[in-house]
Amino acid sequence: MAELAGFQRYQLAFTARLRDPQNQPPLAGVPDERMAVYEEIVFNNLFESVSACFPVARKVLGKRRWLKLNQAFMRDYSANNPLFRSIPAQFIEFLRLLEPGLQQLPPYFISLCHYEWVELSVASAETAAIKEVQTAADLGHGRPVFSPSMQLLNYEYAVHRISLRHKPRQPESTQLLVFRNADDHVKFIELNAVTYRLISLLQNDPLSGRQALTLLANELQHPQPESIIEFGLSILEDLRNQGVIIGTQD
Amino acid sequence: MATISQIQGTGLGLKRELIPQIQSLYGQEPLANIHFVEIAPENWINAGSKAARQLDWFVERYPVVCHGLCLSLGGPSPLNVDFLHQVKTFLRQYKIPVYTEHLSYCTDGFKGKQGYLYDLLPIPFTEEAVHYVAQRIRQTQDILGQRIGVENASFYVAAPISEMSEIDFINAVITEADCLLHLDINNIYVNSVNFGFDPHAFLRRIPGERIIYSHMAGHYRQTPNLLVDTHGENVIDPVWDLLEDAYRLFGAFPTLLERDNNIPPLDVLMHEIDKIAGYQNKAAKHRPAAFAAELMAG
Repeated sequence: MAELAGFQRYQLAFTARLRDPQNQPPLAGVPDERMAVYEEIVFNNLFESVSACFPVARKVLGKRRWLKLNQAFMRDYSANNPLFRSIPAQFIEFLRLLEPGLQQLPPYFISLCHYEWVELSVASAETAAIKEVQTAADLGHGRPVFSPSMQLLNYEYAVHRISLRHKPRQPESTQLLVFRNADDHVKFIELNAVTYRLISLLQNDPLSGRQALTLLANELQHPQPESIIEFGLSILEDLRNQGVIIGTQD
Repeated sequence: MATISQIQGTGLGLKRELIPQIQSLYGQEPLANIHFVEIAPENWINAGSKAARQLDWFVERYPVVCHGLCLSLGGPSPLNVDFLHQVKTFLRQYKIPVYTEHLSYCTDGFKGKQGYLYDLLPIPFTEEAVHYVAQRIRQTQDILGQRIGVENASFYVAAPISEMSEIDFINAVITEADCLLHLDINNIYVNSVNFGFDPHAFLRRIPGERIIYSHMAGHYRQTPNLLVDTHGENVIDPVWDLLEDAYRLFGAFPTLLERDNNIPPLDVLMHEIDKIAGYQNKAAKHRPAAFAAELMAG
């Protein structure tokens, strides 16, 4: 930054105090009572936004540690996104940048926060309408088309089962699918590793259901590929019934 | 799809909570005094398909104005030009003719980034700050290709380094930037209590010919000499008196009710909007319809 004007040096002392009222000195000539208005408004604004997005993470950490973590967010993180609704995503970035051990967070904590954030982001994600989808066509012959809001998630912990009473002790590889259905509701589906792989294949390449399942049977070196294909087609049909697959394209 | 001369009469700050009520009562007598609505672009840019559908509904039916939150006209970080281009695209996409921002800052350039603090902080009233802010307003107007309005902000801390009064600062910035004034009546009152000045004397020094539109709102009385601008209460009588005085001085200008917290049902808000309309009808002077268009053209 170029050399600062006098009023800017004052502004930086002002915001330094807002970011860290416990350690930064009060400003000369500014009544504490008045400064406290800003300290409270600015922190509470951030704190409420973060807390609303991460209800489970907040509970598993406990009140005091959650507060302390948010104070560190206020103090150490420089937000670069002007949109207020981006705060939860920036909080996750802050967690990822934390030096390990600094806040002594549980090993599953960032995954849990990410899982909670996905729900919010899928709810508001911009989705373009997909044209020329045949809703009732055969999923084996056509290319299955997924709901544009769908995301595949892969975590080291069973984040969807975490609660205050159930904190994971061990990693447990977990695959989830999240999407917004036709009624704009966010839904999560737990997947097994094979289904996860099947959907990944279909997402990454323009394959028909049958082509993707043949690839999958090869990968698995299954002695009876046809049984994998039959089984896989029933899974795809089930995903269509749930609204994850909206139809096929040629 | 609004033109600038349609920004007239009385309006409402659009909150998501109010949308279903407005949609169900649209076109009916109780809402007759919603002549225009205001949105914060930060809440609607890239906000998803549901929000886009809602906004489409409104721009087809009401003139819409944009009142920004995050531009940080007085902030030490560089003006966020990328964001400003997003705003420009947004204004064009929805044919929104007016964009205003606060005479405040919300960034500190921390760690070489913008350092958004997501709240409106007070700019010290110094000569250097006048030039700095005016230059950033000019830069904003150049990018948008139109004049913007700046709003007199509420604040709680007077910078000990200030070299002039708030009204001198506002006038100097507006003159140097050649921009418009988005007059917040409640903020004049809040600051008059917080810093002990006469709000009516302040009003008399406002450049009335530059008012694009105005805000009315309520505030929270934390102590007898500390008011916090929450937009969460009803408008109080001294603020109504100020509005009446302003219409007497400058002619009735477009005025909009802001309610951001503790939001009551729409019919309760309509009482306050109807009351603004009553003051406008009572005003001896009215601005001609072309006034705003002339303002924007400069």
